[in-house]
Amino acid sequence: MRFLGLPAASAWLLLAGTAGLVVLLYWLKPSPRRLVVASGLIWQRVLESRKRQPERWRWWLSLLLALCIALAIAAALTRPEIAAVSGAAADVVLVIDTGPSMAARGADGRTRLARALEHAESIVRAGGAGSRYLVADTMRQVMTPALESHEDALARLRSLAPRAGAQPWFPDVARPAGAGERLQLWFVTDGVAHLAVPRQARLVSAFQVADNVGITAFEVRALPADARRHEAYLEIANASPGNKRVEVQVVGVGAAPLARTLQLRGGAAANVVLDLSAFKEGPLRATLRADADALDLDNTAYAYLPGKGRVRVGLFTAGNPALAQALRLLPRVGVEVVPPERWRELARFDAVVLDRFAPPRPPTVPALLIAPGAAPWLPGSATDVSDTRLERWDGSHPLLASLSLRDVLVDRAPLLALDAPGNAQRLPLAPLARGARKEPLILATRAGPRLALLSFALEASNFAQQASFPAFLSNAVDWLTREPRALAYSIGQVSVPAAQAQVLDLEGRSVDTRPAPAATLFDAAEPGLFTAMTRDQRLRIAVNALDPQLTAVNASRFAQGSAPAASAAAAARLRIDPWLLLLALATILLAVEWWTYNRRATV
Amino acid sequence: MFSDAFLRQLDMLTLLTRGRAHGQLRGMHRSRRVGSGMVFADYRPYSEGDDIRHIDWGIYLRLDRLILRLFEEEADLPVYMFLDASQSMDHGKPNKLDYARKLAGALGYVALLNHDRVNLSAFADGLREMLPTRRGKAQAPQVFRFLQSLQPRGRTHLHAALRRYFSSPRTRGLVILISDFLDAEGIEEALAVLRRFRHDVALLHVMAPDERNPQLPDEVVLVDAEEGTATEVEITPALLSAYRNTFEQHARDIEGYCRKYGWGYARALTDLPFEDLVLKVLRQEGLLR
Repeated sequence: MRFLGLPAASAWLLLAGTAGLVVLLYWLKPSPRRLVVASGLIWQRVLESRKRQPERWRWWLSLLLALCIALAIAAALTRPEIAAVSGAAADVVLVIDTGPSMAARGADGRTRLARALEHAESIVRAGGAGSRYLVADTMRQVMTPALESHEDALARLRSLAPRAGAQPWFPDVARPAGAGERLQLWFVTDGVAHLAVPRQARLVSAFQVADNVGITAFEVRALPADARRHEAYLEIANASPGNKRVEVQVVGVGAAPLARTLQLRGGAAANVVLDLSAFKEGPLRATLRADADALDLDNTAYAYLPGKGRVRVGLFTAGNPALAQALRLLPRVGVEVVPPERWRELARFDAVVLDRFAPPRPPTVPALLIAPGAAPWLPGSATDVSDTRLERWDGSHPLLASLSLRDVLVDRAPLLALDAPGNAQRLPLAPLARGARKEPLILATRAGPRLALLSFALEASNFAQQASFPAFLSNAVDWLTREPRALAYSIGQVSVPAAQAQVLDLEGRSVDTRPAPAATLFDAAEPGLFTAMTRDQRLRIAVNALDPQLTAVNASRFAQGSAPAASAAAAARLRIDPWLLLLALATILLAVEWWTYNRRATV
Repeated sequence: MFSDAFLRQLDMLTLLTRGRAHGQLRGMHRSRRVGSGMVFADYRPYSEGDDIRHIDWGIYLRLDRLILRLFEEEADLPVYMFLDASQSMDHGKPNKLDYARKLAGALGYVALLNHDRVNLSAFADGLREMLPTRRGKAQAPQVFRFLQSLQPRGRTHLHAALRRYFSSPRTRGLVILISDFLDAEGIEEALAVLRRFRHDVALLHVMAPDERNPQLPDEVVLVDAEEGTATEVEITPALLSAYRNTFEQHARDIEGYCRKYGWGYARALTDLPFEDLVLKVLRQEGLLR
């Protein structure tokens, strides 16, 4: 027997002292009061008429009752642990697998997590009355696991739900702070997630074979032959043991849904390509339907169908075939090379690229200026810088998104004086990339007409030879023509590459976001299409659960039938603490003592 | 001992006896003797030596015969008052002995007032103090002083006291016993002595409230005031109830004895106002008129 409230020696001392005190008090019990009566005659008759009760056993009975009451109360103070009554107290750590595969429903319609929680609750109920419990999960739903009571542990277990989008991990709870020597570590899992489980952890399987078919890939891509046409590429995987008949449907804007029916063998995958020409620009949703599908998460995927219109770009240059070719390689871009003398034709284009040329007035259409030279509406430069390189750039700006400019070397570039007096009349340009000496090399307007400026000529740098150059041009055309960018993410935490963006879901509802450096974060628990809006750009964000490992819900370590069943499902013990029982016993004995005293069975 | 107002109330009372008075002196009680009383008793022929004042002259004129009218003679009443002055009477609130003293004083005063012969004795385990026969109201202070001088001591032995007292010839009269009758030897034998001499008897049973309904702690050692013996008792409601019943039965036994022989019996409850006892209880009992 252990004592949870006191060290064992102190507890035994307390019990012995209590017993001694009770006995002492009984010995010190004051003698009865002497009372003189007129005559003992009547009393004598009464006492003779009544059967005299033996006094000594009453005294012993009374002492016994008092001892039991006092010892029960004293023992309750020590919070004894009586294994035979309520089990041995221990610190029980329960790690619950809350990965996405735990949402898979079995043949009985219950999810694996429901089975896992059932096992976990049986472990909690089987624990001793003085046990403490720590509940943690593999998807970080329990942020700060701590030892807590039986009731709190059960409540915390019930708050868990399957979650996707983050890398599962085995929390560092093998030796929690404040844990006692009796520590049990349980891991309730379906065995799908591959985690570094401590050796002392006892595994409890929540695995049950499930039928599941899911979308493992969904992409929208332009046809190489015609950038204005797109096709959808889907990969469908059947993770079920048996064959499945799968109906795939893609819903878009402006046309009837596209549907395909597939027959998939167990464990097989199939690719589906659908022509999206009939759809207009806008969201796409791919869904599949199969009988007895265990997991909903991978049955839906979203994408964004970009606009199909051709962008007319005018390249005003005295001659730069490489640049013209690079522009032509961009999808949906129609390039027309125009001599600088015809600068008055700027308005004919959706956007213009002015190579080493600046018109006398600011262009009325969005423009990318490359080494434009001096112009009254542009920032002036007094000197040039040479042998510099791009060292710092704003990656959150759509112009430079997803670019690495670290290897861009610049032989010579004008040193633009952005803060020089007289610039108030000039176009306000903000630097997006600077050189080694903080000289602005790439600039853009923050408001008003969109205009980007590359201060150095392509011939004076190796930028045109960099892999990032076509992407830069693509970004520039998209930004200049205000083309929404489409981004794809996995479910979970989504980091939008735009600061202070407002995120809306497909129904236009605002989504809770968190600010981050040069980004905006939000959580997407399930697939969806979101729109992130900042002051100068709009992003289409497709969030999907496209993961073959996610769909493979039967790829479990327990799939071979060696699953340790819920061995923890021991018989539930009495949940009452022994100290409560002792107090109840003391109360009952007090009642007995009162009853017997009133009937003079005790003294 | 008493207030003037109470004494004035006592002035109007008379001791009653159920039989004829056997006193030798003129008193206020009817007697068996025929003489010069006020109450007509009978006629008889005149004989020489009779008081001619009692000749019925009307009969003589009608019948020409001398017929004497006879009257009951009113005699005094010998009152033998026995007051228990044992240790058991020194108990209760109010004190039983004080209460009994007052009761004896009041009855003695009434008897003296009616020219009865008052014999006052205090007893315990035998006769202790005796006041010689007193008659007439003027003797009342002596009676009161005697009563005041009594001190409680000794155990109760009524039989010994009565046997000794009545071993001498006593005119038949009214015997008044004032006691708590807590006599370990029993009182029937003592009362048999009175019955043998055919006295008219009245028992005044003095009871303290804490005797009838004691309030005792759960554990108590009861010490007998007379014997000094101690008994440890666990007081329980059942025991208390049994005590009350036994005490009541004890009083009823005494009362039953008295009723059986036509004697007077009254409970002198010390928590009862003394005036109520004398002016109401004793009158209802027929001891006073």
